[in-house]
Amino acid sequence: MLTGILGLIGLLAIAALAIMLTYKIETIRQLRAAFNSLKKSVDEMDEQAKLIVRTDMELSKTQEDLDKKLTGLYTLQRLSRTISTTLEENQIFKMMQGADLDELGFEKACVFLWNEVEKKFLPQMYIGYSQDETETIQSYVGLNKNKYLDLITAEKAVSSISLPIDAVFKEAKDRVFKVVSFIISPVLPKEGEKGFLFVGTQNIDTLINEGDEELITILANQLGQALENARLFEKTWRTQQALEKRVEERTRDLTNALNEVKIINNRKTDFVSSVSHELRTPLTSIKGYASILLTGKLGDIPSEIRERLDKINRHSDELVHLVNDLLDIARIESGRVVMKKESLELKNIIENVSDLLSMQLKERQIEFGYNISADANTISADRSQIERVFINLIGNAMKFTPPAGKITVSAHKAEKGVQIDITDTGCGIPEEAQEKIFEEFYRVDNLINQKAKGTGLGLAVVKHIIEAHDGKIWVKSKFNSGSTFSFTIPQPI
Amino acid sequence: MGIQIGIGLSTEKDVFRATQAAVMQAKSNIHTEKIDLAIVFSSIEFAAHPAFLKIASSLLGSARIVGCTGLGIISNTGVFKHGLAVMLLSFPEGIYFNTAYVKGISARPAVSAGGELGERLLYGFKNIRRDLSVIFSDGLLRDESSFLYGLQEKLGISFPLAGAAASDNLAFKKTSVYFNDEVFSDAACGVLWGGKLNFGLGVKHGWKPLGKPRYVTKSSGNIVYEIDKAPAAEIYKDYFASDLVQLRKELKRISILYPIGIYLQGEEEYLLRNIISMEDSGALVFQSDVPEGSLIRLMIGTKESCLAATAQAAEEVKNGLRGHASNFVFVFDSVSRYILLGRQANKELEIIKDRLGKDTPIIGIYTYGEEAPLKAVNYQGRAYFHNQTIAILGMGAY
Repeated sequence: MLTGILGLIGLLAIAALAIMLTYKIETIRQLRAAFNSLKKSVDEMDEQAKLIVRTDMELSKTQEDLDKKLTGLYTLQRLSRTISTTLEENQIFKMMQGADLDELGFEKACVFLWNEVEKKFLPQMYIGYSQDETETIQSYVGLNKNKYLDLITAEKAVSSISLPIDAVFKEAKDRVFKVVSFIISPVLPKEGEKGFLFVGTQNIDTLINEGDEELITILANQLGQALENARLFEKTWRTQQALEKRVEERTRDLTNALNEVKIINNRKTDFVSSVSHELRTPLTSIKGYASILLTGKLGDIPSEIRERLDKINRHSDELVHLVNDLLDIARIESGRVVMKKESLELKNIIENVSDLLSMQLKERQIEFGYNISADANTISADRSQIERVFINLIGNAMKFTPPAGKITVSAHKAEKGVQIDITDTGCGIPEEAQEKIFEEFYRVDNLINQKAKGTGLGLAVVKHIIEAHDGKIWVKSKFNSGSTFSFTIPQPI
Repeated sequence: MGIQIGIGLSTEKDVFRATQAAVMQAKSNIHTEKIDLAIVFSSIEFAAHPAFLKIASSLLGSARIVGCTGLGIISNTGVFKHGLAVMLLSFPEGIYFNTAYVKGISARPAVSAGGELGERLLYGFKNIRRDLSVIFSDGLLRDESSFLYGLQEKLGISFPLAGAAASDNLAFKKTSVYFNDEVFSDAACGVLWGGKLNFGLGVKHGWKPLGKPRYVTKSSGNIVYEIDKAPAAEIYKDYFASDLVQLRKELKRISILYPIGIYLQGEEEYLLRNIISMEDSGALVFQSDVPEGSLIRLMIGTKESCLAATAQAAEEVKNGLRGHASNFVFVFDSVSRYILLGRQANKELEIIKDRLGKDTPIIGIYTYGEEAPLKAVNYQGRAYFHNQTIAILGMGAY
């Protein structure tokens, strides 16, 4: 019985153990499955990680390339700006510095220009080379000048990637230029010496691509353009300098000539002044004696003699008049006469003058009128001198205006003071004479002048007086259609 | 009275004129005659004319000079690929410092060279509390981790240390450190500070793990022979579907963008290691040590994650300063980040200025490696050699 019970318990225990074992086996199986699934996930994630890493690597390469290009472009833009504003040929290459080159991804560079006179390439700039290295490069370029001249003729950049392995430039890269990768681009200004730009790097990690080649070509073109500009500027500058020198010389000649004219004019004025003084004394005597004789106090005068004495008297008057005019001009020119400027009413002056000339106007049946705008009535001038201007100008107009003609004086405000126009309906002045009429002793060649006497000094005196008042005088006239003499005179401040 | 600072920078082409311009500008900015220390960072062309440092030294009188070369320099005004930056420091009473250098590092065990620099830095610091050390080393040293280990053996394992491994123009040919009026390669120099100094240090890279975790099954120092019992290079062959020849051509890019990350328990980020070379045997040579048994991942960096890390590092500096403002900031920034960020490189500077004050004087250099402590408790604040990382150090006086 006991054995049976024990056997049953044993069987139950075995069954329980079997159940537990089965359960454990199931748990282990489940755990294994979970582990396998986890391992699979980790492996899958690792595979994904590989994909991520590879994609990331590609992205970072592209990014690096873009960064490099962007930096290169920025540098190129900055360099271009500096280079293009440099107008001295020998300064252009100095603008490029190691740091700029570094930004472009290179650390060594040189520029050579072909010298047509010396028939050789001359170095313009070195970056990243020692003195010894530059000498090696220069002698290498000298020995192989034809290769570089061919490159310039071809007008195309070459580089360590675009050239075949055995190309001529490649053999020198390690030995002479001490670089792993390089680009050579011709520098081609339209005129003058052409050359080439060499850039290179020792960095084995720097892989030159077509983009780099384009970048360096642009830089070389900029250098060419800058050289062209500098040369053009130099040429223009030299021409301008020559021109300026000539203008300076001519100005100096003219100034000298003007000074000489002034000296001569002063001498003339002095001469005229002293001669006129010398003439006036005997003239006064001649006129005095003629007048005394004409009074008859020294005895009766036969009519023939009287007639001659009258002539002496009249001619003496004319001569005195002439001498006075000459003296006046000389005085004004030399500055001995000071214009006593005062505020005057134009209307008053014109009326005074017309009163003075009224008899003659009447005699010659000439109509006289004036028209003065209200704001032009006041002028600043020397009364006696300005009256003389009006007497001379109106007198002249009378002389050349036929009977039934008309003389008008008008005045209006001008930019500087007052402009006064004296218009007649006379015979007018030929165009070729208009410029000369204000010169001393000039008389227009016409019938009236041939008949009427005159000194040829009237208008010269007028001009001197107007100019002494800081005014201007000019004439507008048409032959046979009258003349207008205009002048300006200041107004009181 | 805090630390007085004057920064000068010149990007002039002529090395000597640039030196004069930068030093004179820094002197005119510091407003004191007492100049204690000058930090000098430059692009590599300066190291080719060692006399520049003699000029700087003669202009600065008795001030000590430390610094190094880099792919580029960083200052408040921007990031410059060519130029010289000078930061002059005048410390108030209560702040002590010493400078030292060690040269001929590769001719002996790196540990002993590190130890020697430590000993020299400690000279005169017997009774003064030591606070912080900043070191500059030749960026082409093969065993930076051992050098650092030797240095920490002297200064203290948990001692705060930040540093920069000098860089060149990515030619990996010659990098230099500056000490007083001399330019050294195969050398390191540094500054040890003590006294009433306050500082905050931020260290971040922003690279993220990708793919499945793997174990380093065989390695020695900076050479990893096997990963998951297969030749180490297989991991790169597999991920890039490429052979060794092709991988070697792309090595620089791969090393910068897809380094190996070592998992460190408790650390927010993986410790990055750049590959220097891929051997025919399939072994990978890294810039610093990768211990056997390390759990590693392939890492990937993006501009966004990189800039986010910069912001986090700047925040760490702020936290470290415990509410005090920093008088000036050092930035040791990996060249990898400069390359990854490309045209956006100066965004890092903007982020730093935004977080730490736009007028705070900043001086920095692009590096081949950065030295900075790990934060997790189990690393006891011990400094490690990092790659791809930005280390920002804000300093001020209490």
